[in-house]
Amino acid sequence: MPFRNVFDQALTLWSAIAAVVFFLVSIILLGAIARNRANRRDTLPFQASKNTPLELGYVVALALIVGGLVFGSFLWNSRLHDGVGLAQAETAPAARINVTAYRWCWEFAYQGAPVRVTGECSTGDFPTVVVPAGQPVEFDLTSQDVVHAFWLPDFAAKRDAYPDHINTLRMIFPQQGRWRGRCSEYCGTHHMTMDFYVQVVSPAQYQQFLHSGGAGV
Amino acid sequence: MTATADRPVPLEVEPRRRGQPGSIVGWLASTDHKRIGLLTVGTALLLMLVAGGLALTIRGQLAQPQLHVLTTDRYDQFFTIHGSLMIYMVMTPFAIGMGLYLVPLQIGAPNVAAPRTTMFAYWLYVTGAVAMLSGFFTDSGAADHGWYAYPPLATSRYTPGQGVELWIVGVALAGLGMLIMAGTVLWTVLLKRAPGMTMLRLPVFSWSVVASNLMVIGAFPALLAAVGILAVGRVRPNLFTHNQWNIGYQDVFWFFGHPVVYVMFFPYVGAAAEVLATFASRKFFGYKFFVISQLLFAALSMSVWGHHMFTTGQSSNYYFSLTSIALVIPAGIEYFDMLATLVGGRLRFPTAMCFALAFIPQFLVGGLTGIMSGTPALDYQIQDSYFLVGHWHYTLAAGSLFGLFAGVYFWFPKATGRMLREGLGKVHFWLWFIGTNLTFLPMFWLGFHGMPRRIPTYLPSDGFTTENLISSIGAALLGLGAMVFMLNVAESLGRPRFADPDPWEGHTLEWATSSPPPTFNFSARYPVPPVHSYAPLLDLRKEREQAQLGVR
Repeated sequence: MPFRNVFDQALTLWSAIAAVVFFLVSIILLGAIARNRANRRDTLPFQASKNTPLELGYVVALALIVGGLVFGSFLWNSRLHDGVGLAQAETAPAARINVTAYRWCWEFAYQGAPVRVTGECSTGDFPTVVVPAGQPVEFDLTSQDVVHAFWLPDFAAKRDAYPDHINTLRMIFPQQGRWRGRCSEYCGTHHMTMDFYVQVVSPAQYQQFLHSGGAGV
Repeated sequence: MTATADRPVPLEVEPRRRGQPGSIVGWLASTDHKRIGLLTVGTALLLMLVAGGLALTIRGQLAQPQLHVLTTDRYDQFFTIHGSLMIYMVMTPFAIGMGLYLVPLQIGAPNVAAPRTTMFAYWLYVTGAVAMLSGFFTDSGAADHGWYAYPPLATSRYTPGQGVELWIVGVALAGLGMLIMAGTVLWTVLLKRAPGMTMLRLPVFSWSVVASNLMVIGAFPALLAAVGILAVGRVRPNLFTHNQWNIGYQDVFWFFGHPVVYVMFFPYVGAAAEVLATFASRKFFGYKFFVISQLLFAALSMSVWGHHMFTTGQSSNYYFSLTSIALVIPAGIEYFDMLATLVGGRLRFPTAMCFALAFIPQFLVGGLTGIMSGTPALDYQIQDSYFLVGHWHYTLAAGSLFGLFAGVYFWFPKATGRMLREGLGKVHFWLWFIGTNLTFLPMFWLGFHGMPRRIPTYLPSDGFTTENLISSIGAALLGLGAMVFMLNVAESLGRPRFADPDPWEGHTLEWATSSPPPTFNFSARYPVPPVHSYAPLLDLRKEREQAQLGVR
């Protein structure tokens, strides 16, 4: 499943649960504040300072809730293949792109084709990585210097880029279009301008892009 | 209210030590846990003002797109030092210092164990804070690598300059100081309790300090190791061309970095719990479960660090998601107990109670969004975005800081012998209640709209403007509230209304002695009362009431 779909599903469910819990706690809190003012009560509403069966039952209920939450978290994590995105086995990626982060821009090198894309981010010349729509794309992320993070906010996907290490991110971009990506791990002075664009084109246009050696599409 | 403005010093209060000769030396070389404790929390409050000033400047810079209040480098220094001060120099030392002041009183001990060592710990902390801040006076400015100082960014190759070295020295000294101070307070709890004060009669606050200090003992050595690794990186930056040192640093750092989050939480939830029980005029509900939950919380906290690292691709998602979400169990127990105390109480609403009540829903927002960031599928979007900034400001600022001020308003009369003004206190509370939510709630939406943290400005076309403006307006209210608080302290010290030993009808032993307490806490005039539960003064009050009823 795409990151975005999993994210939307998880966020909707978790937000609904959070809203219910927040609502319950607020109602109990406000109810106590309204009803238990000292000037409206001469005695305590109840004396007990413990109720072991109730508390134990509550702990069991909490444990069940935690079980449900953990189940959801595990399920979504498995759908995202531990954050890699897609399983390697599903289909061989149509595009494999070596992504090198450096202070302060990105270089995209297409495996199996002599195409390299880079830019000068701090002057507003952001690199655009061209990928085919509807086909698996693999980004192999690394860094030349410090830790960066490859973030596509519109797709809810993020993966860090480390020196001396390659992190894999596999995605399918369903529609054609152009989206902004950002560095989200603070990396120094020009961290803010370390942006790039993902341009999703039709597979035919993508082949044309590769054959022309990276000319604009 | 039991105190009035123009009344002379009441007889029960022992002579004040204000005029004592050599009082400055008396403070700076004291072996009295109360003085060392007050020095620690006082220093932390002063540094909170500094950190708050940095935060207000940051919010000024972000109020509108493309502002130039600060240069980029200055901005980077400001957010680094804001975070570093708040975590290493304010919330942690205040939590441990509050424990140092209160725990010996609450357990009926005359002093802290190893008072000279404890004073040494305070001096380590102050020296560390001075070292970190002095970075601003170097040519390259203060450290600007963020509060968790990931290598290779924090090595001399990518962040040269003495600011980083001073930061490393500062964190190491303060961390060592806190480790020592937590150790002596823990020692005090274990070995210096008054007769009758068994471990399961420790007040709720003291238990929260025990759990908190256990985490300090377990986690702070990892901090010292982490900054040690960084120190090596200042000399040999090539070390960090190898991945295992970079990811290894993160593991070691977060092994400290997550427990410390709860060190900055437990004593404040403990303070809130004492305040809630006191102003609910009843015993805290579910004491044993609360104690067990704190210990469970502390134990679990040592096993969740990898949830800071889901996006690294080098963490164990299943394991750390499981342990992190399991924290819902102890946190849920604590919430149950606090709410049950309120549902079963007769409530009074002085300022301390207002802060403690607001703590409940506000920290809850931080906790519920914490479940989200503990879910890897969500964390891939929110990690290092403003959503995360909103999340932990709800836990630390909207949560812990409200617990901290509940404690300040509650124990100020005990520590100083003077009442804070309730009117000014309420103004402070409402400014902060509104200001906190205005400041931090919009950050969740900023994160979803794709605003990364630690960017010095943004473009009008980014669509971040409205939320940032609201956030900055909220921050201004927080600044205003802080000024009202300072005015309150100045007013209360300058034109004192003296406090009785027990102005709130407290539950625990510190309210049985004078305000402020005598040198060795209890005396012939103020003996340690008999202890039969975790609320000994409440027991005494009830016995007295029943005796009166019997006479009638």
